[in-house]
Amino acid sequence: MRALRTAASGMAAQQLNVEVISNNIANMNTVGFKRQRAEFQDLLYQNVERMGAQSSSQGTVVPTGIQIGAGVKAGSVYRVVEQGTPTQTGNRYDMAVDGRGYFQILMPSGETAYTRAGNFSVNGEGQLVTDDGYAVQPNISIPQDAIDVSVSKSGQVQVITQGETEPQIVGQIELASFFNEAGLEAIGDNLLLETAASGPANVGSPGEVGFGELLQGYTEASNVDAVAEISALIIAQRAYEMNSKVITTADQMLSVAGQVKS
Amino acid sequence: MENAAYAGLSRQMTLRRELDIVANNIANADTTGFKVEQLLLGEEVGERARNAFIRPGVSFVMDNGIGRDFSQGALEQTGRSLDFAIEGEGAFFALKDGNGDAYTRDGAFTLDPEGRLTTQGGAAVQGDGGDIVLDPLLGQVAVAADGTISQNGQPVGRLSVVRFDTLAVLEKGGDGLYRNASNAAPAAANDVQVRQAMLEGSNVNPILEITNLIEIQRAYESVTRMIENTNDLSRRAVERLGRAA
Repeated sequence: MRALRTAASGMAAQQLNVEVISNNIANMNTVGFKRQRAEFQDLLYQNVERMGAQSSSQGTVVPTGIQIGAGVKAGSVYRVVEQGTPTQTGNRYDMAVDGRGYFQILMPSGETAYTRAGNFSVNGEGQLVTDDGYAVQPNISIPQDAIDVSVSKSGQVQVITQGETEPQIVGQIELASFFNEAGLEAIGDNLLLETAASGPANVGSPGEVGFGELLQGYTEASNVDAVAEISALIIAQRAYEMNSKVITTADQMLSVAGQVKS
Repeated sequence: MENAAYAGLSRQMTLRRELDIVANNIANADTTGFKVEQLLLGEEVGERARNAFIRPGVSFVMDNGIGRDFSQGALEQTGRSLDFAIEGEGAFFALKDGNGDAYTRDGAFTLDPEGRLTTQGGAAVQGDGGDIVLDPLLGQVAVAADGTISQNGQPVGRLSVVRFDTLAVLEKGGDGLYRNASNAAPAAANDVQVRQAMLEGSNVNPILEITNLIEIQRAYESVTRMIENTNDLSRRAVERLGRAA
Protein backbone atom coordinates (compact mmCIF):
# COMPACT_ATOMS: atom_id res chain seq x y z
CA MET A 1 0.00 0.00 0.00
CA ARG A 2 1.58 3.20 -1.21
CA ALA A 3 -0.04 5.40 1.46
CA LEU A 4 2.01 3.72 4.19
CA ARG A 5 5.31 4.58 2.55
CA THR A 6 4.13 8.06 1.59
CA ALA A 7 3.23 8.81 5.20
CA ALA A 8 6.53 7.31 6.37
CA SER A 9 8.39 9.73 4.08
CA GLY A 10 6.36 12.55 5.67
CA MET A 11 7.33 11.42 9.17
CA ALA A 12 11.01 11.13 8.19
CA ALA A 13 10.90 14.65 6.71
CA GLN A 14 9.35 16.11 9.86
CA GLN A 15 11.91 14.33 12.00
CA LEU A 16 14.68 15.99 10.00
CA ASN A 17 12.85 19.28 10.41
CA VAL A 18 12.83 18.86 14.20
CA GLU A 19 16.55 18.02 14.14
CA VAL A 20 17.34 21.21 12.23
CA ILE A 21 15.12 23.30 14.53
CA SER A 22 16.65 21.79 17.67
CA ASN A 23 20.16 22.58 16.39
CA ASN A 24 19.06 26.18 15.81
CA ILE A 25 17.64 26.46 19.32
CA ALA A 26 20.74 24.83 20.83
CA ASN A 27 22.92 27.40 19.08
CA MET A 28 20.78 30.38 19.98
CA ASN A 29 23.65 31.93 21.94
CA THR A 30 26.49 30.83 19.68
CA VAL A 31 28.48 33.79 18.39
CA GLY A 32 28.10 34.27 14.63
CA PHE A 33 25.79 31.25 14.23
CA LYS A 34 23.49 31.31 11.20
CA ARG A 35 20.19 29.53 11.54
CA GLN A 36 19.35 26.73 9.15
CA ARG A 37 16.14 25.95 7.38
CA ALA A 38 14.94 22.62 5.99
CA GLU A 39 13.36 22.92 2.55
CA PHE A 40 11.03 20.15 1.46
CA GLN A 41 10.12 19.01 -2.03
CA ASP A 42 7.60 16.53 -3.32
CA LEU A 43 8.97 13.16 -4.40
CA LEU A 44 8.50 11.46 -7.75
CA TYR A 45 5.08 11.16 -9.31
CA GLN A 46 3.77 8.00 -10.86
CA ASN A 47 1.68 8.47 -13.95
CA VAL A 48 -1.21 6.07 -13.49
CA GLU A 49 -3.00 7.61 -16.42
CA ARG A 50 -0.92 9.96 -18.47
CA MET A 51 -2.44 13.29 -19.32
CA GLY A 52 -2.93 13.78 -23.01
CA ALA A 53 -3.36 10.03 -23.57
CA GLN A 54 -6.02 9.07 -26.07
CA SER A 55 -9.20 8.04 -24.35
CA SER A 56 -11.16 6.99 -27.43
CA SER A 57 -10.74 6.21 -31.09
CA GLN A 58 -12.39 9.59 -31.82
CA GLY A 59 -9.23 11.32 -30.67
CA THR A 60 -10.44 12.58 -27.31
CA VAL A 61 -7.65 12.92 -24.78
CA VAL A 62 -7.44 12.61 -21.01
CA PRO A 63 -7.40 16.22 -19.82
CA THR A 64 -5.62 15.91 -16.49
CA GLY A 65 -4.46 12.32 -16.07
CA ILE A 66 -3.79 10.66 -12.77
CA GLN A 67 -0.47 11.34 -11.16
CA ILE A 68 0.10 9.91 -7.72
CA GLY A 69 2.90 11.34 -5.62
CA ALA A 70 5.21 9.19 -3.57
CA GLY A 71 5.60 11.57 -0.63
CA VAL A 72 8.11 14.17 0.41
CA LYS A 73 11.86 14.52 0.73
CA ALA A 74 14.26 17.05 2.16
CA GLY A 75 15.27 19.24 -0.79
CA SER A 76 18.02 20.99 1.11
CA VAL A 77 18.98 22.32 4.51
CA TYR A 78 20.48 25.72 3.97
CA ARG A 79 21.93 28.45 6.13
CA VAL A 80 20.02 31.70 6.27
CA VAL A 81 22.88 34.18 6.10
CA GLU A 82 21.08 37.29 7.29
CA GLN A 83 22.85 39.59 9.72
CA GLY A 84 22.80 38.78 13.43
CA THR A 85 22.52 41.56 16.00
CA PRO A 86 25.87 43.05 17.05
CA THR A 87 26.21 42.65 20.82
CA GLN A 88 28.48 44.86 22.86
CA THR A 89 31.06 42.92 24.84
CA GLY A 90 33.64 45.55 25.76
CA ASN A 91 36.44 43.15 24.89
CA ARG A 92 38.85 45.03 22.63
CA TYR A 93 39.72 41.96 20.57
CA ASP A 94 36.09 41.17 19.78
CA MET A 95 34.95 42.11 16.31
CA ALA A 96 31.66 41.86 14.46
CA VAL A 97 31.17 42.24 10.72
CA ASP A 98 28.27 44.52 9.93
CA GLY A 99 27.40 43.36 6.42
CA ARG A 100 28.94 40.76 4.14
CA GLY A 101 32.23 39.00 4.67
CA TYR A 102 33.96 36.32 6.72
CA PHE A 103 37.11 36.45 8.83
CA GLN A 104 39.85 34.19 7.47
CA ILE A 105 41.34 31.67 9.89
CA LEU A 106 44.46 29.55 9.31
CA MET A 107 43.72 25.97 10.38
CA PRO A 108 46.49 23.75 11.83
CA SER A 109 46.22 21.70 8.61
CA GLY A 110 47.25 24.74 6.58
CA GLU A 111 43.76 25.19 5.11
CA THR A 112 41.94 28.48 5.36
CA ALA A 113 38.61 28.41 7.20
CA TYR A 114 36.06 31.20 7.37
CA THR A 115 34.00 32.43 10.28
CA ARG A 116 31.60 35.15 11.36
CA ALA A 117 32.51 34.63 15.00
CA GLY A 118 34.86 37.49 15.85
CA ASN A 119 35.47 36.67 19.50
CA PHE A 120 39.26 36.74 19.19
CA SER A 121 42.04 36.93 21.75
CA VAL A 122 45.84 37.13 21.63
CA ASN A 123 48.12 34.18 22.25
CA GLY A 124 51.49 34.02 24.03
CA GLU A 125 53.25 35.57 21.04
CA GLY A 126 50.82 38.45 20.80
CA GLN A 127 49.17 36.99 17.70
CA LEU A 128 45.44 37.55 17.13
CA VAL A 129 43.81 34.08 17.37
CA THR A 130 40.37 32.46 17.73
CA ASP A 131 39.10 30.71 20.85
CA ASP A 132 40.84 27.56 19.66
CA GLY A 133 44.15 29.35 19.10
CA TYR A 134 43.99 29.37 15.29
CA ALA A 135 45.60 32.48 13.80
CA VAL A 136 43.52 35.14 12.09
CA GLN A 137 44.75 35.81 8.52
CA PRO A 138 46.57 37.97 7.58
CA ASN A 139 48.69 37.65 10.73
CA ILE A 140 48.35 40.45 13.22
CA SER A 141 50.78 40.74 16.11
CA ILE A 142 50.09 43.02 19.01
CA PRO A 143 53.34 44.28 20.63
CA GLN A 144 53.79 43.36 24.27
CA ASP A 145 54.04 46.98 25.37
CA ALA A 146 50.77 48.03 23.72
CA ILE A 147 48.52 49.95 26.07
CA ASP A 148 45.56 50.23 23.79
CA VAL A 149 44.43 48.53 20.59
CA SER A 150 41.94 50.00 18.21
CA VAL A 151 40.41 48.47 15.10
CA SER A 152 38.93 50.87 12.60
CA LYS A 153 35.76 50.24 10.61
CA SER A 154 37.93 49.48 7.60
CA GLY A 155 39.91 46.86 9.51
CA GLN A 156 43.09 48.78 10.27
CA VAL A 157 44.62 47.65 13.58
CA GLN A 158 46.46 50.36 15.48
CA VAL A 159 48.21 50.23 18.84
CA ILE A 160 49.46 52.86 21.23
CA THR A 161 52.59 51.73 22.97
CA GLN A 162 54.02 52.86 26.29
CA GLY A 163 55.46 56.36 26.06
CA GLU A 164 54.18 57.02 22.54
CA THR A 165 51.45 59.44 21.60
CA GLU A 166 51.15 58.51 17.91
CA PRO A 167 49.21 55.32 17.21
CA GLN A 168 51.17 52.74 15.25
CA ILE A 169 49.63 50.55 12.50
CA VAL A 170 50.31 46.85 13.16
CA GLY A 171 48.10 45.19 10.59
CA GLN A 172 45.02 45.14 8.42
CA ILE A 173 42.16 42.68 8.83
CA GLU A 174 40.80 41.34 5.56
CA LEU A 175 37.49 39.66 4.89
CA ALA A 176 36.46 37.03 2.36
CA SER A 177 33.17 36.97 0.47
CA PHE A 178 31.56 34.29 -1.68
CA PHE A 179 29.01 34.15 -4.47
CA ASN A 180 27.00 31.53 -2.63
CA GLU A 181 27.56 31.85 1.11
CA ALA A 182 24.98 29.17 1.82
CA GLY A 183 27.24 26.73 -0.06
CA LEU A 184 30.03 26.92 2.54
CA GLU A 185 30.60 23.71 4.46
CA ALA A 186 30.25 23.97 8.24
CA ILE A 187 32.91 21.98 10.10
CA GLY A 188 31.89 22.89 13.66
CA ASP A 189 33.67 25.30 16.02
CA ASN A 190 31.93 28.16 14.14
CA LEU A 191 34.17 27.49 11.14
CA LEU A 192 33.23 27.11 7.50
CA LEU A 193 35.17 25.79 4.52
CA GLU A 194 35.10 26.81 0.88
CA THR A 195 33.40 24.28 -1.44
CA ALA A 196 32.72 23.95 -5.15
CA ALA A 197 29.20 25.23 -4.44
CA SER A 198 30.28 28.37 -2.61
CA GLY A 199 32.69 29.50 -5.32
CA PRO A 200 36.20 30.83 -4.63
CA ALA A 201 36.84 33.35 -1.87
CA ASN A 202 37.02 36.99 -2.87
CA VAL A 203 39.27 38.84 -0.41
CA GLY A 204 38.94 42.52 0.38
CA SER A 205 39.15 45.06 3.17
CA PRO A 206 36.15 45.83 5.37
CA GLY A 207 34.14 48.78 4.13
CA GLU A 208 35.02 48.23 0.46
CA VAL A 209 32.16 47.74 -1.99
CA GLY A 210 30.55 44.39 -1.21
CA PHE A 211 32.11 44.04 2.25
CA GLY A 212 30.71 44.97 5.62
CA GLU A 213 32.37 47.19 8.18
CA LEU A 214 34.03 46.02 11.39
CA LEU A 215 32.75 46.88 14.83
CA GLN A 216 35.32 46.61 17.56
CA GLY A 217 34.14 45.55 21.02
CA TYR A 218 31.11 43.76 19.57
CA THR A 219 30.36 40.21 18.57
CA GLU A 220 27.64 39.12 16.19
CA ALA A 221 24.85 37.25 17.97
CA SER A 222 23.23 34.27 16.26
CA ASN A 223 20.33 35.14 13.96
CA VAL A 224 18.09 32.50 15.54
CA ASP A 225 14.64 33.87 16.36
CA ALA A 226 13.41 31.88 19.35
CA VAL A 227 9.72 32.59 18.73
CA ALA A 228 9.93 31.56 15.08
CA GLU A 229 11.80 28.37 15.99
CA ILE A 230 9.29 27.36 18.65
CA SER A 231 6.35 27.88 16.31
CA ALA A 232 8.20 25.90 13.63
CA LEU A 233 8.66 23.16 16.21
CA ILE A 234 4.93 23.06 16.95
CA ILE A 235 4.10 22.90 13.23
CA ALA A 236 6.61 20.07 12.74
CA GLN A 237 5.14 18.10 15.63
CA ARG A 238 1.58 18.41 14.36
CA ALA A 239 2.64 17.48 10.83
CA TYR A 240 4.38 14.42 12.26
CA GLU A 241 1.21 13.43 14.10
CA MET A 242 -0.92 13.82 10.99
CA ASN A 243 1.39 11.54 9.02
CA SER A 244 1.19 8.93 11.76
CA LYS A 245 -2.60 9.21 11.52
CA VAL A 246 -2.35 8.32 7.82
CA ILE A 247 -0.30 5.24 8.70
CA THR A 248 -2.91 4.16 11.26
CA THR A 249 -5.72 4.64 8.73
CA ALA A 250 -3.91 2.78 5.96
CA ASP A 251 -3.14 -0.02 8.40
CA GLN A 252 -6.77 -0.29 9.50
CA MET A 253 -7.95 -0.36 5.90
CA LEU A 254 -5.48 -3.14 5.14
CA SER A 255 -6.73 -5.06 8.15
CA VAL A 256 -10.36 -4.63 6.99
CA ALA A 257 -9.39 -6.04 3.59
CA GLY A 258 -7.61 -8.90 5.28
CA GLN A 259 -10.62 -9.88 7.36
CA VAL A 260 -13.14 -10.24 4.55
CA LYS A 261 -15.01 -13.50 5.08
CA SER A 262 -15.12 -15.66 2.00
CA MET B 1 -20.82 -13.12 -10.69
CA GLU B 2 -22.67 -10.58 -8.69
CA ASN B 3 -22.75 -7.04 -10.06
CA ALA B 4 -22.83 -5.65 -6.52
CA ALA B 5 -19.44 -7.18 -5.79
CA TYR B 6 -17.95 -5.65 -8.93
CA ALA B 7 -19.45 -2.24 -8.20
CA GLY B 8 -18.09 -2.48 -4.66
CA LEU B 9 -14.66 -3.50 -5.94
CA SER B 10 -14.53 -0.48 -8.26
CA ARG B 11 -15.19 1.75 -5.26
CA GLN B 12 -12.58 -0.01 -3.14
CA MET B 13 -9.95 0.51 -5.81
CA THR B 14 -10.68 4.21 -6.10
CA LEU B 15 -10.70 4.56 -2.31
CA ARG B 16 -7.22 3.04 -2.15
CA ARG B 17 -6.08 5.56 -4.73
CA GLU B 18 -7.75 8.40 -2.87
CA LEU B 19 -5.92 7.32 0.27
CA ASP B 20 -2.60 7.45 -1.62
CA ILE B 21 -3.36 10.98 -2.73
CA VAL B 22 -4.46 12.16 0.71
CA ALA B 23 -1.29 10.61 2.18
CA ASN B 24 0.78 12.57 -0.34
CA ASN B 25 -1.07 15.78 0.53
CA ILE B 26 -0.44 15.30 4.24
CA ALA B 27 3.21 14.34 3.70
CA ASN B 28 3.59 17.60 1.78
CA ALA B 29 1.70 19.77 4.26
CA ASP B 30 4.98 21.61 4.92
CA THR B 31 6.41 21.62 1.37
CA THR B 32 7.08 25.05 -0.10
CA GLY B 33 4.76 25.89 -2.98
CA PHE B 34 2.96 22.52 -2.90
CA LYS B 35 -0.55 22.44 -4.36
CA VAL B 36 -3.14 20.09 -2.95
CA GLU B 37 -4.54 17.34 -5.16
CA GLN B 38 -7.70 15.33 -5.23
CA LEU B 39 -8.99 12.42 -7.25
CA LEU B 40 -11.80 13.20 -9.67
CA LEU B 41 -14.37 10.43 -9.67
CA GLY B 42 -17.04 9.74 -12.21
CA GLU B 43 -19.79 7.29 -12.87
CA GLU B 44 -19.00 4.66 -15.46
CA VAL B 45 -22.25 3.20 -16.74
CA GLY B 46 -22.00 -0.53 -17.42
CA GLU B 47 -22.28 -1.35 -21.09
CA ARG B 48 -25.08 -3.61 -22.15
CA ALA B 49 -23.99 -5.10 -25.42
CA ARG B 50 -20.45 -6.19 -24.68
CA ASN B 51 -21.11 -7.63 -21.29
CA ALA B 52 -24.39 -9.40 -21.35
CA PHE B 53 -24.60 -10.39 -17.70
CA ILE B 54 -24.32 -6.81 -16.53
CA ARG B 55 -27.84 -5.48 -16.49
CA PRO B 56 -28.52 -1.83 -17.28
CA GLY B 57 -28.61 0.36 -14.26
CA VAL B 58 -25.34 -0.89 -12.84
CA SER B 59 -22.59 1.66 -12.86
CA PHE B 60 -19.10 1.61 -11.55
CA VAL B 61 -16.86 4.22 -10.00
CA MET B 62 -14.08 5.41 -12.27
CA ASP B 63 -11.26 7.78 -11.47
CA ASN B 64 -10.78 9.84 -14.56
CA GLY B 65 -8.20 12.32 -13.39
CA ILE B 66 -6.81 14.30 -10.55
CA GLY B 67 -7.65 17.89 -9.83
CA ARG B 68 -5.03 20.27 -8.50
CA ASP B 69 -6.13 23.18 -6.44
CA PHE B 70 -3.85 26.01 -7.57
CA SER B 71 -5.14 28.48 -4.99
CA GLN B 72 -2.70 30.69 -3.15
CA GLY B 73 -0.77 29.21 -0.23
CA ALA B 74 -0.02 31.26 2.87
CA LEU B 75 3.01 33.55 2.57
CA GLU B 76 5.62 32.98 5.22
CA GLN B 77 8.26 35.55 6.04
CA THR B 78 11.78 34.11 6.02
CA GLY B 79 13.97 37.21 6.05
CA ARG B 80 16.29 35.71 3.44
CA SER B 81 16.92 37.99 0.48
CA LEU B 82 16.92 35.18 -2.11
CA ASP B 83 13.53 33.76 -1.07
CA PHE B 84 10.67 34.73 -3.36
CA ALA B 85 6.96 34.06 -3.34
CA ILE B 86 4.40 34.72 -6.03
CA GLU B 87 1.26 36.44 -4.86
CA GLY B 88 -1.42 35.59 -7.38
CA GLU B 89 -2.81 32.28 -8.51
CA GLY B 90 -1.71 30.11 -11.41
CA ALA B 91 1.60 31.82 -12.15
CA PHE B 92 5.05 30.22 -11.93
CA PHE B 93 8.73 31.06 -11.92
CA ALA B 94 10.24 29.90 -15.21
CA LEU B 95 13.28 27.62 -14.86
CA LYS B 96 15.64 25.79 -17.17
CA ASP B 97 17.52 22.60 -16.31
CA GLY B 98 19.07 19.62 -18.05
CA ASN B 99 15.63 18.33 -19.02
CA GLY B 100 14.40 21.55 -20.56
CA ASP B 101 11.91 24.07 -19.25
CA ALA B 102 10.36 23.71 -15.82
CA TYR B 103 8.05 25.80 -13.70
CA THR B 104 7.81 26.18 -9.93
CA ARG B 105 6.09 28.06 -7.12
CA ASP B 106 8.98 27.26 -4.76
CA GLY B 107 11.06 30.43 -4.75
CA ALA B 108 13.77 29.41 -2.26
CA PHE B 109 16.57 30.30 -4.66
CA THR B 110 20.31 30.41 -4.19
CA LEU B 111 23.39 31.38 -6.17
CA ASP B 112 25.70 28.90 -7.83
CA PRO B 113 29.50 29.37 -7.75
CA GLU B 114 29.29 31.57 -10.86
CA GLY B 115 26.64 33.81 -9.33
CA ARG B 116 23.73 32.44 -11.37
CA LEU B 117 20.39 32.43 -9.58
CA THR B 118 19.25 28.79 -9.26
CA THR B 119 16.79 26.67 -7.32
CA GLN B 120 18.05 24.53 -4.46
CA GLY B 121 18.05 21.68 -6.96
CA GLY B 122 20.31 23.59 -9.38
CA ALA B 123 17.81 24.56 -12.10
CA ALA B 124 18.64 28.01 -13.49
CA VAL B 125 16.02 30.66 -12.78
CA GLN B 126 15.04 32.42 -15.98
CA GLY B 127 14.81 36.14 -16.43
CA ASP B 128 13.56 38.12 -19.36
CA GLY B 129 16.90 37.63 -21.08
CA GLY B 130 17.85 34.11 -19.98
CA ASP B 131 19.79 33.21 -16.83
CA ILE B 132 20.00 35.79 -14.06
CA VAL B 133 23.54 36.50 -12.85
CA LEU B 134 24.08 38.43 -9.64
CA ASP B 135 27.33 39.81 -8.28
CA PRO B 136 27.29 39.79 -4.48
CA LEU B 137 29.94 42.50 -4.48
CA LEU B 138 27.38 44.92 -5.92
CA GLY B 139 25.44 44.90 -2.67
CA GLN B 140 22.05 43.89 -1.42
CA VAL B 141 19.60 42.25 -3.81
CA ALA B 142 16.22 43.96 -3.93
CA VAL B 143 13.28 42.68 -5.92
CA ALA B 144 10.30 44.80 -6.88
CA ALA B 145 6.75 43.48 -7.04
CA ASP B 146 6.97 43.14 -10.83
CA GLY B 147 10.05 40.90 -10.50
CA THR B 148 12.69 43.52 -11.35
CA ILE B 149 15.91 42.69 -9.54
CA SER B 150 18.16 45.53 -8.58
CA GLN B 151 21.44 45.83 -6.73
CA ASN B 152 22.44 49.18 -5.29
CA GLY B 153 19.59 50.82 -7.15
CA GLN B 154 20.75 49.49 -10.52
CA PRO B 155 18.37 47.07 -12.26
CA VAL B 156 20.22 43.85 -13.15
CA GLY B 157 17.40 41.68 -14.50
CA ARG B 158 13.81 40.69 -14.15
CA LEU B 159 12.41 37.39 -12.89
CA SER B 160 10.29 35.73 -15.52
CA VAL B 161 6.89 34.89 -14.05
CA VAL B 162 4.63 33.04 -16.47
CA ARG B 163 1.23 31.41 -16.68
CA PHE B 164 -0.57 29.01 -18.99
CA ASP B 165 -4.00 29.37 -20.53
CA THR B 166 -4.97 26.10 -18.95
CA LEU B 167 -3.22 24.68 -15.93
CA ALA B 168 -4.16 21.14 -16.98
CA VAL B 169 -1.14 21.06 -19.33
CA LEU B 170 1.22 20.99 -16.36
CA GLU B 171 2.62 17.70 -15.19
CA LYS B 172 4.28 17.35 -11.81
CA GLY B 173 7.88 16.25 -12.03
CA GLY B 174 8.73 15.96 -8.34
CA ASP B 175 11.24 18.29 -6.60
CA GLY B 176 8.53 20.97 -6.64
CA LEU B 177 8.81 21.31 -10.43
CA TYR B 178 6.09 21.28 -13.04
CA ARG B 179 6.72 20.42 -16.67
CA ASN B 180 4.74 21.46 -19.68
CA ALA B 181 3.14 18.34 -21.18
CA SER B 182 1.74 20.09 -24.23
CA ASN B 183 2.80 22.48 -26.97
CA ALA B 184 1.08 25.41 -25.32
CA ALA B 185 3.48 28.29 -24.77
CA PRO B 186 3.38 30.18 -21.48
CA ALA B 187 2.72 33.92 -21.43
CA ALA B 188 4.12 36.51 -19.05
CA ALA B 189 1.92 36.99 -15.99
CA ASN B 190 1.80 40.71 -15.36
CA ASP B 191 -1.06 40.69 -12.88
CA VAL B 192 0.80 38.89 -10.07
CA GLN B 193 3.27 40.23 -7.55
CA VAL B 194 6.65 38.85 -6.53
CA ARG B 195 7.37 39.13 -2.81
CA GLN B 196 10.93 39.09 -1.60
CA ALA B 197 12.11 37.40 1.64
CA MET B 198 8.93 35.34 1.68
CA LEU B 199 8.03 31.81 0.70
CA GLU B 200 4.65 30.38 -0.21
CA GLY B 201 3.60 27.57 2.08
CA SER B 202 1.69 24.58 0.79
CA ASN B 203 -2.07 25.11 0.41
CA VAL B 204 -2.92 21.81 2.09
CA ASN B 205 -5.68 22.26 4.64
CA PRO B 206 -4.76 19.72 7.34
CA ILE B 207 -8.23 19.58 8.88
CA LEU B 208 -9.84 18.88 5.53
CA GLU B 209 -7.28 16.19 4.73
CA ILE B 210 -7.74 14.41 8.07
CA THR B 211 -11.51 14.53 7.52
CA ASN B 212 -11.00 13.03 4.07
CA LEU B 213 -8.89 10.35 5.66
CA ILE B 214 -11.66 9.38 8.07
CA GLU B 215 -14.23 9.44 5.29
CA ILE B 216 -12.10 7.20 3.09
CA GLN B 217 -11.57 4.73 5.89
CA ARG B 218 -15.25 4.51 6.79
CA ALA B 219 -16.32 4.25 3.15
CA TYR B 220 -13.81 1.48 2.63
CA GLU B 221 -15.16 -0.39 5.65
CA SER B 222 -18.77 -0.08 4.54
CA VAL B 223 -17.99 -1.14 0.96
CA THR B 224 -16.12 -4.12 2.34
CA ARG B 225 -19.15 -4.96 4.47
CA MET B 226 -21.37 -4.67 1.42
CA ILE B 227 -19.15 -7.09 -0.50
CA GLU B 228 -19.23 -9.45 2.47
CA ASN B 229 -23.03 -9.30 2.61
CA THR B 230 -23.31 -9.92 -1.12
CA ASN B 231 -21.02 -12.87 -0.75
CA ASP B 232 -23.10 -14.15 2.16
CA LEU B 233 -26.27 -13.78 0.16
CA SER B 234 -25.01 -15.87 -2.73
CA ARG B 235 -23.63 -18.52 -0.37
CA ARG B 236 -26.99 -18.84 1.37
CA ALA B 237 -28.73 -18.98 -1.98
CA VAL B 238 -26.52 -21.85 -3.05
CA GLU B 239 -27.13 -23.65 0.26
CA ARG B 240 -30.90 -23.29 0.04
CA LEU B 241 -31.01 -24.27 -3.61
CA GLY B 242 -28.97 -27.32 -2.71
CA ARG B 243 -31.45 -28.27 0.03
CA ALA B 244 -34.44 -27.95 -2.28
CA ALA B 245 -32.87 -30.44 -4.66
